[in-house]
Amino acid sequence: MAIEQSTQSSNLVDVLETVLDKGVVIAGDIRVGIADVELLSIKIRLIVASVDKAKEIGMDWWETDPYLNSKAANKEDQKLKEENDELQKRIEELEKKAGQDNRLV
Amino acid sequence: MAELKYLYGIIPTDELNQTPLPSFKGLDEQHEWYPIAFDGIQAIVCDLEESDYNESALEEKTSDVEWVHEKAFHHHEAVMRLHESYTVIPMKFATIYTSKTNLEETLTNHYQEMDGLLSWLKGKEEWNLKIYCDNDSLRKRTAAHNLTIEEKKKELEHMSPGRQYLEKRKLDRLIDQELEKDKEQQSSSIHDQLVTYSVKTDIKKNWNKDVTGRTDEMCWNSVYLLENQEAEEFLGKVKQLQKEWKEAGFTLELTGPWPAYHFSKLK
Repeated sequence: MAIEQSTQSSNLVDVLETVLDKGVVIAGDIRVGIADVELLSIKIRLIVASVDKAKEIGMDWWETDPYLNSKAANKEDQKLKEENDELQKRIEELEKKAGQDNRLV
Repeated sequence: MAELKYLYGIIPTDELNQTPLPSFKGLDEQHEWYPIAFDGIQAIVCDLEESDYNESALEEKTSDVEWVHEKAFHHHEAVMRLHESYTVIPMKFATIYTSKTNLEETLTNHYQEMDGLLSWLKGKEEWNLKIYCDNDSLRKRTAAHNLTIEEKKKELEHMSPGRQYLEKRKLDRLIDQELEKDKEQQSSSIHDQLVTYSVKTDIKKNWNKDVTGRTDEMCWNSVYLLENQEAEEFLGKVKQLQKEWKEAGFTLELTGPWPAYHFSKLK
């Protein structure tokens, strides 16, 4: 008997059709545009399905692929920046050293 | 810094006095929710940083499907929490005010109505019934047992092969139409038996398979507002109907108790 109340994805449509469509509509004073229940459910289902499917067949490389994942992209950027800073520092040190060496000569 | 007010729902002051508000983290996962008192009612809100949740920031957030998914469920959970302890007028997801003054202005405008609605909703709960059906087996049954179709089939036997071909295609369409009629009739007869237990009911839209992610088809979607003490008998009836209709290819799925989302209309 399916009498239950949970926040599992099986109840996705139940929850979306209720909290997006129903409830007292007294307008807040910030305008918030949200896709309709139909479009949202389909999109969420696709995301969940593709994530599960991908993980199932061991395809989770995109989680760290900067072209597909913005969090990974940020991490990648951060790494490049650190590398860049490190190199910059070394160049400066080498230049300083070279300057000193020149003076000695 | 300017703070926005995210409104979850309205509850009666006397009930809040009896049961203090449980602790709950708001939409931004930082600010705790709290009540703003207004005469006999309380608006349950959480603060949001203006810079993170102004109109343009929200536009960006709401275009992210995963964000909406997570936060819609947060809203649901919050209103469920309220519903567990209080009579509640649930708000729609993302009802946000730019200031406490603006929220209070809205409460002033709707106070009488909200107060009346809360007294009416007291001691009531909402249940949602969705009926799904196995289209293939139902179609076979309709094709085999429907009188209109049986007559047509008899007529067909005496026709020339060419004519038969055309008439068979017509017959297929007729079966489809009759199937839809059968489903509607049978679902609404189930519904009629549940209406007697409810204070109010509403019939909703059926969602297609892309939306539900199921292999069977939704053929009925309705909501019932019940007095709490009616719930047990209502559930018993649903259980009985579930058994009765299983063999015919109908699956009845009931969820609840929900806050009275469908019965909290203001004029």
